[in-house]
Amino acid sequence: MARSSAIFLIFLSATTLACLGAELDFNRDIRPILSNNCIFCHGPDEEERKAGLRLDTREGILQDNVVIPGDTDNSLLIKRIDSNDPDEQMPPPESAKALTAEERALLHQWIAEGAAWEDHWAYVAPKPVPVPEVKRKDWPLGAVDHFILARLEEEALPPVAEADRATLLRRLSFDLTGLPPSVELLDRFLQDSRPDAYEQVVDELLGSEHFGERMAMYWLDLVRYADTVGYHGDQDHQISPYRDWVIDAFNENMPFDAFTKAQLAGDLLPEATVDDKIASGYNRLLQTSHEGGVQPKEYLAIYAADRVRNVSAVWMGGTLGCAQCHDHKYDPYTLQDFYTMAAFFADIDEEQHFKDGTNDLPTRRAPEIDVLSRRDREALARVEKALEDGAIAPDKRARLAQRRDAILANKRRTMITVAKKTPRVTRVLPRGNWLDDSGEIVAPAVPAFMGTVGVKGRRPTRLDLAHWLTDGSRDSGKQTARVFANRFWYLLFGRGLSASLEDFGGQGSVPDHPELLDYLALAFVDDDWDVKAFLKDLVMSRTYRLSSQATPALLEKDPDNRLFGRQARHRMPAEMIRDAALDMAGLLDKHIGGASVKPYQPEGYYRHLNFPQRRYHHHEDARQWRRGLYVHWQRQFLHPMLRAFDAPSREECSAERPRSNTPTAALTLLNDPTFVEAARALAERLLRGDRQEFEARLAQGFRLALSRGPTTVEEDLLRTLYQHEQEHYQKHPQDARALIQTGQAAVADDLDPVEWAAWTAVARALLNLDETITRH
Amino acid sequence: MNLSLADTLNRRAFLAHSGVGLGAAALSSMLHRDAVGKAVSHLAPRAKRVIFLCMAGGPSHLETFDYKPELARQHGKPMPDSFTKGQPIAQLQGKPLTCQGPMASFRRYGQAGLEVSDYLPWQAKLADDICVVKSLVTEQINHDPAHTFMNTGTVISGRPSMGAWVNYGLGSAADDLPGFVVLTSVGGRNPQPIASRQWSAGFLPSRFQGVEFNASGDPVHYVRNPKGVTTPQQRRLVDTIQALNRERFAAAPHPEIETRIAAYEMAFRMQASVPELMDLSDEPASALELYGATPGDGSFASNCLLARRLAERGVRFIHLYHRGWDHHGDLDRYMKICAGHTDRATWALVTDLKARGLLDDTLVIWGGEFGRTPMFQGKGGPGRDHHIKGFSMWLAGGGVRGGQSYGNTDELGYHAAENVVHVRDLHATMLRVLGIDHHRFSVPFQGLDMRLTGVEQARAVTDILL
Repeated sequence: MARSSAIFLIFLSATTLACLGAELDFNRDIRPILSNNCIFCHGPDEEERKAGLRLDTREGILQDNVVIPGDTDNSLLIKRIDSNDPDEQMPPPESAKALTAEERALLHQWIAEGAAWEDHWAYVAPKPVPVPEVKRKDWPLGAVDHFILARLEEEALPPVAEADRATLLRRLSFDLTGLPPSVELLDRFLQDSRPDAYEQVVDELLGSEHFGERMAMYWLDLVRYADTVGYHGDQDHQISPYRDWVIDAFNENMPFDAFTKAQLAGDLLPEATVDDKIASGYNRLLQTSHEGGVQPKEYLAIYAADRVRNVSAVWMGGTLGCAQCHDHKYDPYTLQDFYTMAAFFADIDEEQHFKDGTNDLPTRRAPEIDVLSRRDREALARVEKALEDGAIAPDKRARLAQRRDAILANKRRTMITVAKKTPRVTRVLPRGNWLDDSGEIVAPAVPAFMGTVGVKGRRPTRLDLAHWLTDGSRDSGKQTARVFANRFWYLLFGRGLSASLEDFGGQGSVPDHPELLDYLALAFVDDDWDVKAFLKDLVMSRTYRLSSQATPALLEKDPDNRLFGRQARHRMPAEMIRDAALDMAGLLDKHIGGASVKPYQPEGYYRHLNFPQRRYHHHEDARQWRRGLYVHWQRQFLHPMLRAFDAPSREECSAERPRSNTPTAALTLLNDPTFVEAARALAERLLRGDRQEFEARLAQGFRLALSRGPTTVEEDLLRTLYQHEQEHYQKHPQDARALIQTGQAAVADDLDPVEWAAWTAVARALLNLDETITRH
Repeated sequence: MNLSLADTLNRRAFLAHSGVGLGAAALSSMLHRDAVGKAVSHLAPRAKRVIFLCMAGGPSHLETFDYKPELARQHGKPMPDSFTKGQPIAQLQGKPLTCQGPMASFRRYGQAGLEVSDYLPWQAKLADDICVVKSLVTEQINHDPAHTFMNTGTVISGRPSMGAWVNYGLGSAADDLPGFVVLTSVGGRNPQPIASRQWSAGFLPSRFQGVEFNASGDPVHYVRNPKGVTTPQQRRLVDTIQALNRERFAAAPHPEIETRIAAYEMAFRMQASVPELMDLSDEPASALELYGATPGDGSFASNCLLARRLAERGVRFIHLYHRGWDHHGDLDRYMKICAGHTDRATWALVTDLKARGLLDDTLVIWGGEFGRTPMFQGKGGPGRDHHIKGFSMWLAGGGVRGGQSYGNTDELGYHAAENVVHVRDLHATMLRVLGIDHHRFSVPFQGLDMRLTGVEQARAVTDILL
């Protein structure tokens, strides 16, 4: 549902926005019309360009009287778009494109008013902008609020009031840690009357080590992290230390430029550490194959293209991947650009697996190294230090040695990047055809229209590329900052300031708040890429604290909340739904990092996998209850729960997940043993509370699940359910025992199975509520 | 899955009467169905649904429908360079390329004298019902990307499969079943892996994705009540959840809550309808015999019978995979096994649909993700490698003129030489039969108008239609 809305919002965007702003704005009002209707044939792609005409540049539109500023009568463009003659008419009828009356009117107006031209917003570096003035001086708490309120005041749309404190805390907790607030934190916050109580809790959550897990959840989607190779036999490959490195990096608040360099080129950093090498595993996250009959030459071309798609989507918000076979249809990326970008990665040594990739689990993907996690390395250092002390007692020495061996046993193998001395030759592949060796040999370079990495006298490297992407003194770095300012905004406000998180190109969405986006991008750069500080600024704003409940006026004039006069409410990502259920049940294992885990999964789900055939064995210890981001990510058969709630298979970059609302998801929450076990554990937790009345237990259940108490109606509905279930289980005690035995958690014998089963039904209801799985 | 029409109407009424002052634009952006319905009005539809029988692994065209006497004459001789030079080759890379004559005899069947090999005696009886296309070409030579290409028209991940496109374009006609169902079976050479991306909805809303029905375990994931919970209890639980969600809606109205209420109702209904569909005990013995099916055995035969039941219940796209057709070696043995698993049931399905009057508005498609080389490969007895430059598929029902073949490969069965049909032409033809103009059937994604048939020119092969 959410995804279909997103698709149709694209249709609506031009009109809605034009209505909101009175003055004509080229990038907002005109460029999308040209881009959607004209640029495919009259754009940057020289080969496809019709009549030698291009409408994506100022020079282009002025040539041959196509557009005569101020003169609609004689501008050819107007003649052709207004023509009824099928041979004359533009766009031509066979293109299946057509201008609406409104779009034609806008083009008329644009030319009549002088045909002002602006460069595409995303290819111009963010500019310093003054913070706008507002009428309601007491409303803004910071710069963000000035931008938001000024625009709302322009539209005469008052923002909603702030959310109540419980809702706000719940929102903040999910947004920053991916977990619901504990009942203790909730009570503490509700009772904290200090003026800086909110800031205190913001700092506490940003300092929580679950912050890194929450950020990693998003990052892993971007970089397409998974536990399997993706193609053909989809065997396991070894990369989980990279995932843990990402978590640690966010927790330590590694500056985003350093974070980028370590991943793209950790191996090339001077005196690369083990962590740098682990981080360089980024380059190995793509899908690979050793299927019998693969032609290495073909697959090296596939891998190169995969990398170009990912690096451009992640850091540049670009669809450079479209230029694999031809110049980009809408953006100034050329075929040449695609292959010069690919050349940056031509040094990655990885051809071994075409020969030695085996159908084992895990398979081999050289080069790999065996590593300990940072935590284990630190623990090991402590133990070894203690062992150095000659004076320790023999029994203590034995214990320490045992501990050391236990830590060493945690070693995990992980794919890393090793640079070949001589990079592979990279050629431009005409029409993307890997069999065609006629193309020019190219050296690494960034897309020509964006400048150069600025290296002279040697071959530019991945490290140069990473520098270029994050050099805050250059346009390129500021543009990267804008891509991420937009995505961090999305994480906290439910949609980006530009709605297209993946595509900042000509076909992407023009930002609704371009000045704010530029302001934030520059702030990110000026703050030395400090991610936590950036996020803190956003959550401290009043805009962040608003209620998500719209007023009729906001719904009418801004149905999609493009102006952020209210907060967002949306169904949470798959992992958070799982984690929240386990957490309220008291089952969640909160350890950070480690090898991937296998929760319960329907039998036979992997039966289509072969080479080798797969038997899934779920973990039978506490690993069963670890957080969703640690779940074994099988690209071809992602765990059905994750899939039902729109987690991506991680074959490609995904910057935004759909938020579907389907019967499959309902069946999962109702019947997946993970959720049934969570319900029976939550029931047990409620039964063991201090007070035994139904009302007290239910109130506790509501606080755990929803961070609030029940209304009388809710209480009545659940009491009725409880009484029916109690009655049923009294007559069928064997059913009660079957239900409370779901899953592997211990079944206590001091509780009445009938009571327990009846409360399990109540707990299932709580886990299935729309409100429980929604971030408000 | 789709909400039923009734749900959609309720939803309209609900929004109109809920006191939420939604603008017309917001309303239409939520009622995806309005926009989706546009697709069906392009052309007069000849079929309402598709049954795709995918012979995964790539059956040999040279031992099924494409008889090449010249290849028999060249048997054992080197494959002429003029055919293979510069062509992509899979497992035979760098090996000597030798002609391998047909390993089966062929006979002519039906009024049109369609040539069918002796491996397929049952499908031979369909000669007057099917149209064999002998000139298919694809672009991918390894299984996984070739399936992705056959299903989505591209090898780039994240694009919708054809079943999702059809489900999206036409909507489900079933009230309590998904509109796109996948059934798989094994038997033959080492079963081909099939990734769930083959039935993905890609960038389309996920409710249009294929749902796999399983012969063993739960027929659909999590469709069974938890242990210790009876159906009346589950009903009571769902009713309580619905009432609580309505209560929440009253306090904080949002259309997603209403969608969730509809989703839970559909989920509960599926808990009854899916097991009922999968339970063949209401089929007479004669039906089981016709297909050669044993209930619950997960065989291709059972899946064919289930395909008929799904077609009867209004499912739009029914995709069967039989995963045993990768015959690099010992082709004769494995052809016999695969044909033994699939041939009779395929005949039974077409025959049964015809007898029930369903064939007229059902398009049945048979074929693999590619064909096999005219060259010998010998992994344990003669076999053939992957081949993408010319292979055969057949279509039946849904306005397709039976009793004909279309297109041809060259004399050695290597290149499609006459009336070439690219995978995207097959897609265009399928959409045409369903009343959809492939060119106008697009969805904006990442700034492009995405089509099943992609950006290259595609043509609906109208010559084969009635």
